[in-house]
Amino acid sequence: MTGSTTLLPIAEQAAEGFQRANPGTHVLVSGLGSSAGIEAVITGTSDIGTSSRDLKPGEADHGLVDIPVAYDGIAVIVNPANPVDGLSLEQLRAIYAGEITNWREVGGEDRAINLVNRDEASGTREAFKKIVMGEDAHFDRSAVVLPGTGQVRDVVARSRGAIGYISVGFVGPRFTSTRVKALKIDGVVPSEDTVASREYPIARTLHFFTRGHVGALAGRYVAYVLSDEVQDGVVVDAGFVPVSARGRP
Amino acid sequence: MSTTDTSSSVARGTLRLVSRETQVKEWLLASVFFACAFVAVLAVALIFAFVGWKAWPIFSEVGISEFLFGRVWASSEELYGILPLIQGSFVVTLGALVIGTPLAVGTAVFLSEIASPGVRAVVRPAVELLAGIPSVVYGFFGVVVVRPIVGDLTGGIGFGPLTAWVILAIMIVPTIAALSEDALRSIPMGIREASYAMGATTWQTIRKVVVPAAKIGIIDAIILGMGRAIGETMAVLMLVGNAPQFFAGIGQPISTLTSQIVMDMGYSTGTHRTALFGMAAILFLISMGLVLTVRLVSRLRD
Repeated sequence: MTGSTTLLPIAEQAAEGFQRANPGTHVLVSGLGSSAGIEAVITGTSDIGTSSRDLKPGEADHGLVDIPVAYDGIAVIVNPANPVDGLSLEQLRAIYAGEITNWREVGGEDRAINLVNRDEASGTREAFKKIVMGEDAHFDRSAVVLPGTGQVRDVVARSRGAIGYISVGFVGPRFTSTRVKALKIDGVVPSEDTVASREYPIARTLHFFTRGHVGALAGRYVAYVLSDEVQDGVVVDAGFVPVSARGRP
Repeated sequence: MSTTDTSSSVARGTLRLVSRETQVKEWLLASVFFACAFVAVLAVALIFAFVGWKAWPIFSEVGISEFLFGRVWASSEELYGILPLIQGSFVVTLGALVIGTPLAVGTAVFLSEIASPGVRAVVRPAVELLAGIPSVVYGFFGVVVVRPIVGDLTGGIGFGPLTAWVILAIMIVPTIAALSEDALRSIPMGIREASYAMGATTWQTIRKVVVPAAKIGIIDAIILGMGRAIGETMAVLMLVGNAPQFFAGIGQPISTLTSQIVMDMGYSTGTHRTALFGMAAILFLISMGLVLTVRLVSRLRD
């Protein structure tokens, strides 16, 4: 299997678990990017292609089977003391482009906005850039760059004017006692449900793509990835939303 | 005296007091020590050659002036200008020296001229202990304790030069203090006694006689402290905010050569990677310049 680097932690850890459960099998995982993954499954180089984006029109007519394996939602977080509760996607883009620099301009108190960004190696940054910033807008270069989700969360929890973004799965205080507030985007609260239903705008579906018929081994691997063991374990630990969240009450 | 006779005979090589075996042993030991020294020289030469070799493409592909004087560092847009990073490195280093030097020289003067032996026995190990604290611990301390205070003072998050200055100043104190103290102690006691004999007070002796006499040694110490500060990576990475922009205020994030290399090396490929080696080569040249300066300054003293 080949494809998305975002999906690499899920695919690799699931592969390890699968090989332990099925001695003698060997799952080869490589992360070259979503386009390479889709290309590899179309040409037959790989049994499974992983992708963090939907198929493009040219790729859609090869009869690939789309298997959503997880959802990735990015929550925009601020200090709990910040009176701002929500932003539009457009306001968020302007803030990260450095066009809006004071909370007053988005209905908050008169305080400078302190941007917190992730490093360029981050998959979260890549997704945020693609969904929020689009092709033309660039991140404001004066933003603080921190190399980890935990650090972003910690700094935002302690600084009144800060804004940052992290995977939805890490908003709640899982490992620390500090609190951050996730903003509504276009009026939608980020949660497992709104990410899975794609109502929340800063979200994407993580896919496995296969050709119409897969070999028995690849089929068993896909079933294993969709099992509760992987979904509630590896997927949740990586900060993603399991596919089973769709349709949960 | 018989001992004087034998030693002069040995020196002339007329009398053999040591066996052949001992001579071989001596020769072997000398070779071992030579090898140790040679490894150090070899390591420097190899690292320099490797960094230079890896960095070469950035100078030929992007161009020396584009690279050194380019004003934008944005690897995702293939812009590799390191001027903001060079500026960041010097802003962080010079600020730390401004805060750290008086602290360190003051410590050295206190230890060498004022402290009683009992007080010195406590203060000196404490200062030396500062040098043994891992830089990640300094960085952590800076993030947790200094950053929020700086954030309140400057109205930002607190990542930026001021936070890095405070922490780096503490980090370079042991280097500058130890070397300055050596310089002060090397001033002969007679000079101080002459000063006191003229009726000078302790303060007058320190200010007018001892410190001026040890001036070159203290300057050496400060330059070596500068080398320590400019090469420091982990603590700086944790404190400056890593925004590759020009200095915009003491509470606004900046980035440095060292911290940017660490931030980017995990995922960089192609030209981006050679740019990192180019930055390493620049750092290498800066520290080489500092060491050479120390040599020149020392020669002035002799």
